[in-house]
Amino acid sequence: MISQDKRLLENQFLVAEAHSLYKAKFITEVQFSEIQKAIPTPKKSKNILLRIGFAFLGMLLYASICGFISLLGLRIIDNSFTFFIFVYAAIGFIGAEFFVRQNHSEQGLDDSFLIIGQLLLAAGIGTITDGYELPVAFVATIVSLLTYLRYINRASILIFCIASTATIAFGMFELGALGKATLPFILMLYGLAIYFICRKLTKNFQFPFYHQGILLVKYFGLILFYFAGNYLVVRELSVVLLGNEIAPNSDIPFAWFFYIFTFIVPVAYTFYGIKLFERAILWIGFLTLGFSFYTIDYYFLEVPIEIYLTSGGLLLFAIAYFSIRKLKDKTKGITFQSDRFINSSDFLHTEALILTSQFGLKPEATIDSPMEFGGGGFSGGGSSGEF
Amino acid sequence: MEKMNEQATQKLFDKGLISKEQFDQITNYRNLNVFSLNAELKIFLYVSVLLFTSGIGILVYQNIDTIGHSIIISLIAIVTILCYYFSFKKAPKFEKNQTHFVSPVMEYIVLTANLLTCILIAYLQIQYNTFGTHYGLATIIPTAIGLLSGYYFDNKNVLSLAITGLAAYIGLTVSPQALLQNEVYNTNSLSYAAIGLGVVLIIWNYYTSKINFKTHFALILLTFAVHLIGIACVNNIIDSDYFFTFSIILGLATYYFYNSSYKIKSVSLFVFTLLYGFIGLNITLFKIIESLNLTDFFEFILVLSPFYSIGAIILFIMMIKKFNSEIKK
Repeated sequence: MISQDKRLLENQFLVAEAHSLYKAKFITEVQFSEIQKAIPTPKKSKNILLRIGFAFLGMLLYASICGFISLLGLRIIDNSFTFFIFVYAAIGFIGAEFFVRQNHSEQGLDDSFLIIGQLLLAAGIGTITDGYELPVAFVATIVSLLTYLRYINRASILIFCIASTATIAFGMFELGALGKATLPFILMLYGLAIYFICRKLTKNFQFPFYHQGILLVKYFGLILFYFAGNYLVVRELSVVLLGNEIAPNSDIPFAWFFYIFTFIVPVAYTFYGIKLFERAILWIGFLTLGFSFYTIDYYFLEVPIEIYLTSGGLLLFAIAYFSIRKLKDKTKGITFQSDRFINSSDFLHTEALILTSQFGLKPEATIDSPMEFGGGGFSGGGSSGEF
Repeated sequence: MEKMNEQATQKLFDKGLISKEQFDQITNYRNLNVFSLNAELKIFLYVSVLLFTSGIGILVYQNIDTIGHSIIISLIAIVTILCYYFSFKKAPKFEKNQTHFVSPVMEYIVLTANLLTCILIAYLQIQYNTFGTHYGLATIIPTAIGLLSGYYFDNKNVLSLAITGLAAYIGLTVSPQALLQNEVYNTNSLSYAAIGLGVVLIIWNYYTSKINFKTHFALILLTFAVHLIGIACVNNIIDSDYFFTFSIILGLATYYFYNSSYKIKSVSLFVFTLLYGFIGLNITLFKIIESLNLTDFFEFILVLSPFYSIGAIILFIMMIKKFNSEIKK
């Protein structure tokens, strides 16, 4: 099933390991380059920027091939446009196969071909069935799973996650009002189910090649579980799907359950992540907790936003400061000292990027009326207006 | 995941690629079971600073004409002074090379101090019109303070903030969103200013690298320069009547940044340089075809396009291979 040479894939783990050992300064640079020479691996791009750049080029190539084919079929394209969509989709898969033969994987070029191919195939099914969602989602689920199993391309497994969720959601819509009303619970169950199945699968490393993909699905399960039960999501979706107008002073059914759920789950994730030493779960916990605070702010909080931000900032600072003091000198277990295997410089670069995007100084906006409120110097204040 | 890494290390050891001593070191370290919250806690500090200062910023503007504002302002002034006081007290001795605070918390205190300074100065301008009609002063003073403290405390974040201040002083918005939405500037004459600022940054970077002064800031300076020059040139190639001049400028800039990315070993600079160069080249070619009235050959060009993109891809792959092997040395 796997399109690539298994021996090479196995080697890839070894070289990746050697690379992290080198980064952690356990082995010398000379040793690392010797290991690299001794073990042949598929060409793989580690740098995300390069991968995006090549994906961009891949799209250009894809578009120009499609243009070329359209030109050849110029006479018949009007009558058989659906057929051409499938031809375009086929190009994606042929291209992916070609790149794999060339020993390229997850390098950007193959990503763009696989993703666009799958999207076009889904679009083709959509045109045949006149935009009937269920079959589209269903086909996308199957195709993305098969593509992942063959090419081990992590972008496909993400499409699989989304498409399978969509399949379930559209399936529930078929059941009418009852299906729509129970949708959050069904999706929660689905999220939990894929989490536990994947946890089982990753435990014994039966599938070393699929390990990372299964991890992705596992985390997706956790995220889905949270969002399926988040109060804001449930409330807004019940307005959209069921057409429920929620009058003031009334609430959605089972509101108390969703309140508790919105808070308990992120906290549980965070503790669970620390307890299991699983960084990704910890992060999912932080982010979902942030979203929970947003949920409260959206519906209930009477406190003005500036107080909320300022006090939140102070509280967070205190938490971070005291945790740092406490964890500073520990050498094992949970600690503040940097892990030799983790390179945190990426984060330091992103920091400046976020800073300039939120707080970058802007030129004077209204030059002629500086006395007006919010004019002139506002932009100089460094706080951009959208807060 | 851990187990898998251990297996891989074992295999490397079995193949004789790492020595027994190294293998033992690695297993010992792994057995410590380190779970480092270093990055997470730093992000917490960072987010807390951003939340706090944006909250304060809104607070000041909301209360600008009320009685309580003078209290708020004096409080902020006190906090700012305290932040600076601690920064100076704890600051490492100023050196030409990279320096670090003993405690990572201080980096964020410096950042807070600078953000609060910006808020204070803007407030002074709005409320008391301190700088009169010299609106530029309200921008350039926090910028100057930012530049000085960026270099003195060796703080990347503050330096980037100060560079956006410089750009704002000449009338540009250089935030990443502006870049994505193509809103860096809105008049044509500003594009000359953008290129000018880019060149100034390049010269400053060249000078600091010559005298070996805080050379680790090269990446920031050059990143700002490449985006300023790249965007200004691409926009002018699309819009201006003198597109060819800008194509040449972009070509020269691409050449310069290409070499610099080798020098400072930065992949991101390399990628963005090539991206701007490639976009500029394509638009220039398109413009030339348009101006030569070659529209009859349009179909011919469309047929050629797959070969053109395949050629470009092969060229890029070769360039990246060369780059990767070069920076490993």
